[in-house]
Amino acid sequence: MQLGYVLLNSPSWEKIRVTGQQVSISSTSATAHARSGFAARFKRNLIFRRSIYGIVFIAPAMLFFLIFSLYPMVNGFYMSLTEYTLLKPPVWIGFDNYIDLLENKEFLNGLKVTLVFVLGTTIPKWILSLLLALLFVRDFRGRETFKVLYFTPTLLSGVVVSLVWKLIFHANGLATALVGPYTGQPEIFWLASSTLTPLALITVDNWAGIPFFMIVWIAGLVGIPREFYEAALIDGAGRWAAFRHVTLPLLRPTTLFVVVVSTIGALQAFSLQFIMTKGGPSNVTTTVALLVYKYGFEYFKMGVAAAMSVIMFLAIIAITLIQIRSVQSEDTSYT
Amino acid sequence: MYQKRHTSSYYLSHAVQTLLLYAVIIVGLLLFCVPVYYMVTTSFKAEAEVVAIPIHWLPHEFKPENYPEAFATAPFALYFYNSLVVALAVVASTLFFSGLAGYGFAKFQFPGKNLAFLLVLSTMMIPFQILLIPLYVLVHGLGWTNNFAGLIIPGALSAFGVFLMRQFCLTLPDELLDAARIDGAGEIGIFARIVLPLLKPPLASLAIITFLASWNNFLWPLIVVNKGNLFTLPVGMTVFTQPMRSPYWTYIMAVSTVATLPVVLVFLALQKYFIQGVVLSGMKG
Repeated sequence: MQLGYVLLNSPSWEKIRVTGQQVSISSTSATAHARSGFAARFKRNLIFRRSIYGIVFIAPAMLFFLIFSLYPMVNGFYMSLTEYTLLKPPVWIGFDNYIDLLENKEFLNGLKVTLVFVLGTTIPKWILSLLLALLFVRDFRGRETFKVLYFTPTLLSGVVVSLVWKLIFHANGLATALVGPYTGQPEIFWLASSTLTPLALITVDNWAGIPFFMIVWIAGLVGIPREFYEAALIDGAGRWAAFRHVTLPLLRPTTLFVVVVSTIGALQAFSLQFIMTKGGPSNVTTTVALLVYKYGFEYFKMGVAAAMSVIMFLAIIAITLIQIRSVQSEDTSYT
Repeated sequence: MYQKRHTSSYYLSHAVQTLLLYAVIIVGLLLFCVPVYYMVTTSFKAEAEVVAIPIHWLPHEFKPENYPEAFATAPFALYFYNSLVVALAVVASTLFFSGLAGYGFAKFQFPGKNLAFLLVLSTMMIPFQILLIPLYVLVHGLGWTNNFAGLIIPGALSAFGVFLMRQFCLTLPDELLDAARIDGAGEIGIFARIVLPLLKPPLASLAIITFLASWNNFLWPLIVVNKGNLFTLPVGMTVFTQPMRSPYWTYIMAVSTVATLPVVLVFLALQKYFIQGVVLSGMKG
């Protein structure tokens, strides 16, 4: 604001003001020819001046994106083809990092763990959040209050969510206290079991994510005009038919958003694994995102870490493109 | 008579439906709210109560002194302050430069505009995953590790912010801007005095999501800072997860509660913009 104020009172502003006055003078002049000549020149001048301002306005942002997004991305591809430890300049080794990763048991296990986590935190999230949203578009007393309360998990940061659930899944914590009476076990090691632990993390991520996607679905559902349903009813459609042939097709943009955003988020999940389990027990929750951190900042193998993140990046792009295509291709099957 | 029976059975099924609806809604409510309730109540318990079975739904021994004690175990007040400084700086810079660039894209013609906008759009698609390592190397090279610059500058602008502001600026009437020009206002004056005030609603949403993203950011501060005096709150809280240190759960929950408070306050004050903003951005946590 202060910068704007200074520039506002600078001489260049006065100059524009003067040219502005010239317009009013020229418009009162008698000959149409002279007027159009001046106006054209003035207009050219004005367009040039305005295009300069456009460039000045976007320049800081573009500079920022070049330095902090585009350059690092290109550099990431380059680094994945080098051996680099931060201490010495990177050494070109071609595709060796990628070839090594194909035989790296930790990485292959990481891919498997990530796949399970992504499946477990996307499909249930889509279905459950949509079902809840369908309840919340009905009219009932106290709806708005319930909606706000449902939103609570969204207010917690990833770190807080991880810490709270670490306590809930403590061997003698809330989860055990609730389940204990039925299983008869005084303590359950939720976070130290190769079968329970991945499920526990999946549960937590669903808990934290469902309310958010519920709100997104509600926004989409509210946007569907009532007339469409009335038309479907007149045509004799039942509830399910109306949902399948009216709601779902019209929700397609929302569906795409939910599917893509949840998948990208699941592929990049980090704090949950880092805080709740540190990837354990015996690597059953070591996702690729965690491995990128480990190789980069514990082993300082920047080249290997960069190669892993390039693979993740390509996976994200491929999955996103497939999802866009499959959500859009439903388009033709419905209509 | 037939009519009447039909109506009463209709009412009955309606009542059953409503009952079912509330049953489902309340079960969901418990699932989503009990963990948060558990966090807050645990923060007031005595440590021995934490793993008591049967579970103490209310602290038997009410201990508000957990809060000052928790804040004495590590410099959490400093971490809180660091988080706040970083978040406010990031919000201010994001709002100003996003507004500026969004206005530039929406209302001016210049060579290379489409190419530049394509760059913004593709930046929006880049997952942070791939930037993590090279961005760290860049910041390390600039000497910004263990420095506020390293915490703030790489996040000081978002492509999403520029995109959002452009979409809103497109809806501003050209006549309004031209009228200001005819009245002799300069381009910068038009931006500061006319465009920015009109952008208040989308700026409010952008401010909230930017604040939230920065306040909750964990991975980037974790790698860019390793000196305790620059930790942000999420990074500082990981002292509780270090091995060889038995966690003191009541303190952990006290700090977690305090870390959530600013977000709750923003939520209560700006609920409409908050939900709108979070939904707009598609970011969470």
